[in-house]
Amino acid sequence: MKSLVTGLLTSLALSMGMLSTAAQAEQLNVWHAYRGGEKAAFEKVVKMYEAKQAGKGVTVNTLAIPYDAYADKISAAVPRGKGPDVFIYAQDRLGGWVESGKTVEPIDFFIDKPTREQFRPGMVEAMTYKGSVFGLPINYKSTTLIYNKALVKAPPKTTTELVKLAKQLTQKDSGRYGLAYWYTNFYFHSALMNAFGGKVFDASGKMVLNSKESIAAINQMIKWYKKDGIMPPEPSEALVASLFNEGKAAMVFNGPWFIGEISPKIDFGLAMLPIVDEAGKKPMRPWLTIEGAYVSAASKQKELAYDFAKFLASEEAGLVLALEGRQLHTNKRIYTDKRVIGDRILKAFHDQLSNAEPMPNRAEMTMVWSPATTAMNKITKGSSTPEAAIKEASATIQDSINALRKAR
Amino acid sequence: MSPFRWLASSYVLGLGVAVGITLALSAWLFEGAERDQRVQYERRLAQVEANSLAGALASAAPERIAGVLQAWQARHPAHESAILVGGMELLGSTKPEDAAPRRLGREEKPIFDLANLLRAARETNIGEGVVRKKLVNFDGSVKGAYVVTVPYLANNEFAGVLQVRIRQVADKRSAPSSLGGVPLWLPALLVAVALGALFRARSDLRLDLPRLLLFAAFLALTLAYQYQRMAAYDASDLDGARQVANAVREAVLSYGLPPEGAAAPSPWDTDTYLRPLGVVLGDGTLNESAHGALFAEKTRFFERSLWAAEVLGLVMLLAFLFGYMRRLGATLREHADAYAYVTPAMLGMLVLVFFPFLYGITLAFTDTTLFNESLPFAERWIGWDNFVTILGDFNLYERGPEGLIWNYQNFYWTLMVTIVWTLTNVAIGVSLGFILALILNTEDLKGKAIYRVILILPWAIPNYITALVWRGMFHPQFGVINQVLQMFGMAPVAWFDGVVSSFLTGLTTNGWLSFPFMMVVILGALQSIPKDMYEAAEVEGATRWQRLRHITLPLLRPTLIPAIVLSVVWTFNMFNIIFLVSGGEPAGANEILITKAYKIAFENYQYAYAAAYSTVIFVILLVYGVFQTRVTKATESF
Amino acid sequence: MAKKKANNHLLLHTALISFTLLSMYPVFWVLALAFSGQQSVGIIDLPMDPTLMERARAIVPIPEHFSVANFVGVWTEQSFGTWLWNSAVVSLMTTVLGVFLACTAAYAFSRFRFPGRNAGMLTFLVSQMFPGTLMLIPLFIIIVKWLGLGNTYFGLVIVYATTAIPFCVWMLKGYFDTIPVDIEESARIDGASPQTIFFRIILPLATPAIAITALFSFMTAWNEFILASIFMEAESNYTAPVGLRFFVGGFSSQWGYFAAGSVIVSLPVVLLFLYLQKYLISGLTAGSVK
Repeated sequence: MKSLVTGLLTSLALSMGMLSTAAQAEQLNVWHAYRGGEKAAFEKVVKMYEAKQAGKGVTVNTLAIPYDAYADKISAAVPRGKGPDVFIYAQDRLGGWVESGKTVEPIDFFIDKPTREQFRPGMVEAMTYKGSVFGLPINYKSTTLIYNKALVKAPPKTTTELVKLAKQLTQKDSGRYGLAYWYTNFYFHSALMNAFGGKVFDASGKMVLNSKESIAAINQMIKWYKKDGIMPPEPSEALVASLFNEGKAAMVFNGPWFIGEISPKIDFGLAMLPIVDEAGKKPMRPWLTIEGAYVSAASKQKELAYDFAKFLASEEAGLVLALEGRQLHTNKRIYTDKRVIGDRILKAFHDQLSNAEPMPNRAEMTMVWSPATTAMNKITKGSSTPEAAIKEASATIQDSINALRKAR
Repeated sequence: MSPFRWLASSYVLGLGVAVGITLALSAWLFEGAERDQRVQYERRLAQVEANSLAGALASAAPERIAGVLQAWQARHPAHESAILVGGMELLGSTKPEDAAPRRLGREEKPIFDLANLLRAARETNIGEGVVRKKLVNFDGSVKGAYVVTVPYLANNEFAGVLQVRIRQVADKRSAPSSLGGVPLWLPALLVAVALGALFRARSDLRLDLPRLLLFAAFLALTLAYQYQRMAAYDASDLDGARQVANAVREAVLSYGLPPEGAAAPSPWDTDTYLRPLGVVLGDGTLNESAHGALFAEKTRFFERSLWAAEVLGLVMLLAFLFGYMRRLGATLREHADAYAYVTPAMLGMLVLVFFPFLYGITLAFTDTTLFNESLPFAERWIGWDNFVTILGDFNLYERGPEGLIWNYQNFYWTLMVTIVWTLTNVAIGVSLGFILALILNTEDLKGKAIYRVILILPWAIPNYITALVWRGMFHPQFGVINQVLQMFGMAPVAWFDGVVSSFLTGLTTNGWLSFPFMMVVILGALQSIPKDMYEAAEVEGATRWQRLRHITLPLLRPTLIPAIVLSVVWTFNMFNIIFLVSGGEPAGANEILITKAYKIAFENYQYAYAAAYSTVIFVILLVYGVFQTRVTKATESF
Repeated sequence: MAKKKANNHLLLHTALISFTLLSMYPVFWVLALAFSGQQSVGIIDLPMDPTLMERARAIVPIPEHFSVANFVGVWTEQSFGTWLWNSAVVSLMTTVLGVFLACTAAYAFSRFRFPGRNAGMLTFLVSQMFPGTLMLIPLFIIIVKWLGLGNTYFGLVIVYATTAIPFCVWMLKGYFDTIPVDIEESARIDGASPQTIFFRIILPLATPAIAITALFSFMTAWNEFILASIFMEAESNYTAPVGLRFFVGGFSSQWGYFAAGSVIVSLPVVLLFLYLQKYLISGLTAGSVK
């Protein structure tokens, strides 16, 4: 019985193992996390690339992976010599992958000047870690001001205008608010923090969250929530979407991903995030999330992989990705195209880019989210002062960082 | 007498196997250690060469680079080649066909990337003020040579890398463990077998003279073997260190004394972080006491492994001497049927469950993080430190102006929350499931099938979405629960702000999710109670309660107890609900151990620490499991 | 007497119906979301100064507009049908393998007294104790790197089966224990072989238990997401939970699609349970004892 079972196991293992090893030399495997329109546009670009390479007989296999499993899948497969030739991911994991090694291939050697210069400002920086470039930026995302045209005639340019308008539109008893955004989430809060000049890391990588500037930014948020009372309690992405779709939130700070969630009943407009009067008339500067195409360190055909990544970043591919995939492509030349710049959504986020900065790509950033969010929750619930909460969060983050940066 | 009978009736097999195992293991350990030792010293030699050459280049003018490189190559036949790379430029090479200086070619990307890697490593170490990145790279993929790359500094600034290639010394296999050509283990084994044959095996458990003698023989044979090889190992280590010292001396002859001077540790004899080891001094003299200290530290783990081999052999010997092995064989034959039934399931378990266990538990004894994952395993080993940090932190609360402030990050707080979480959840799940199953088991109740199907829905729908719906229902302003409270004129509750109320959100959700499972299990169990037992009891005038108490409950026990034990284990590790509903709010107070471990691994990237956390969870559950099965005799029927 | 019984049942029905409604309430929200045609999780919609009636309306989970758009979207946008099929194959294979292995092991634990029996039982329990978060990488190493079973059904099946076996073994052993030994002994006296006893007598008597363990094994495989997405290397090999997760996570979440998909995904489980219900009626009472 035992021998029968093991025999069965091995024969099945063999036959199925054979099926799974299909990859051959001129095949590129590409992983991404797109679905819907983005996926369709991406696959169209892949077909375009295959047509261009028809002479060499290159085929590109794409694999869509759910976002929640994507990073785990890369971390499990690539360092063990498996996985794709090219994968597309935002810059937030880059630092970790470089530090742990055997995941992303540096591409300074391949990248030439025209390629480097075709990108919008800040894009290559996001793909650069400790002086080496590891990926070609493909598209970016940031938050901006999205408003309900039925409620807001002219979007506010400054925070003073914003508060004034929002106060008129707020009726707490029936759950109507002038402004809604996930303000306890540090990602959404970053726009205010950057306006005040707060930072998480300085240039040398030191954690500098506990600063006058960060606290001023939190005080500003608290003022909106408590004193002005223009924002709902316990915000979340789902709540913000629901409120906006039911006409109960006049203005939201949100990104391009939100556009698809807006109900067709709502006539919405987009505008730049306001100038913060309290921060010396500096504009709100949201964090940029930039997706890059990385060459896998396990790839057997790195030059071809880079060539494909380069195509994704090209103007030709960019136009398809922007117009059909609704992505904000990084290639600056596509923004001279009338169809792109004439699209009010693409244009709005294109405008916001002049007041935005790349989110840090250090691995240590992951250690910031949770303590920072705990601090924000404590502050909004009034169980701690901004100073004390930020000091505590800062200490927690520093402890985690020290555990990672341990001397050998 | 047949050979098998003879084997069984004497101690040949016992002493032979025990000595054999210990010798084989020791030999294997020594082989490995000797190989490591050889590689280590050859690498150290290569590093001295690279470091001293890089030092010479650092102070040489650009036009003299080629000369310095060529002089180096000419100095020793093992010096195969050397190249100097700065940015995109090949600055110098010992190979004339390289035609340095020139731009790097396509196929030279690896050295360019390596230069960037070492530059970033140096910047990291300086910027963070902590030495954690290796500054020396050995290319392990090259056979027959050592390819070592070190930073090349000009005016103390990073200017590129120097890569030298040094031919591997022919692998002259010294045979320190042989006596006149015969491997040492052979006579030892023969002696063991001969000794074993002298005594007749007994199955009693007394420690008599023959057995004492056999113990002594085992220890003498194996320890002598280990001692002999250790002496050889020790000697060749000192020899290696002398060679390194010689190399430093030769370098001093070529390049002059290093700037640190003759008495300071040589800056050329370093570890891979470019920290001087301090064993060889600037002028090339060997500091023997420093070498001894380094040797002791280096071989600590190795020595412990040797002791482990000794212990393993002893255990085997004991098993044979007191007849355990014979009984084991007999048992296997006697219960062959039972083992055949169990084996297939057990096999799957062993491969797919216990290998990951081993992986996790081993990881717990290292200091692996995202940043040092790629280091060799031995360099990450730290022993019990993680456990000491977790279990030894008693900073459970502090006294603030408003009384006690609990430290929610402390292990014991989380453990307490986890235990309360598990007990309450299982109690709710079991009692709800039990009541519903009893009701649905009522004999002539109409529509039973419909109720049963509807009531398993909470289990059937993916809990990812139902957990989210529950979270929405607890929203302070827009949630259904607060709306209902307000309809009845009560004040809304900020569910996620309080430790207890936030706990209740998770409890409610999980109770809702887990009762269908219990209900189904108990329903199945109720079916196996013969109805005539109830009928007989009813005839005898037993009340409903008496029937429940004396028939149903005892007969449910065999299925109910395993279900409870398992659901305790599952609830203890119930990750999704905590993570999705309360998220551990407020301030991590409602985190359970498993969500904490997850955060340590995936937010803080401290993989080893998280593994230690998981191991602690495992041990707690294991103790519970053993205790529970002992007390309830859950594995015994009736 | 008869009247009293009917009354009792009325009471039971009232209790059951109210509990069922209560436990269905979150399910109704999922349904409402699935049939709303919208993507965002519904919240309470209240006018100014709500009356009691308006409050009551707000907490009843009925979508404003009834639409099957979410279902159409889930079904057409991606190859959800293929993924459901994959899930069905994987789950059924898991169920068969898991239940078979568990039955044999549980039978041995229940009927034989052999050294290592308690340790063996404990081993199965222990396997559930190590937190899964760190098992991902070692499992990847075994299944994909060593066994080369990446991108195959079978790779998933053996992992799921080993996950389900401990529960099945423990439960089945409990049920086997309640089956009187006399039945087997009389069969043995009649000259039945051990195999006959196991397959012809024990297994039929244990059908309620086997039905429950089968349901459990099926569910283990049916709802698993992370391993399926990590082991599979082609979209055509994904399982339904993997496909569902495309709608959420990352920046945007289409909760409407997710809810609709969840409803689709839970239907087979409900059907399976409906089918298995008839086996929940005991083999014992129907069979040998009487």
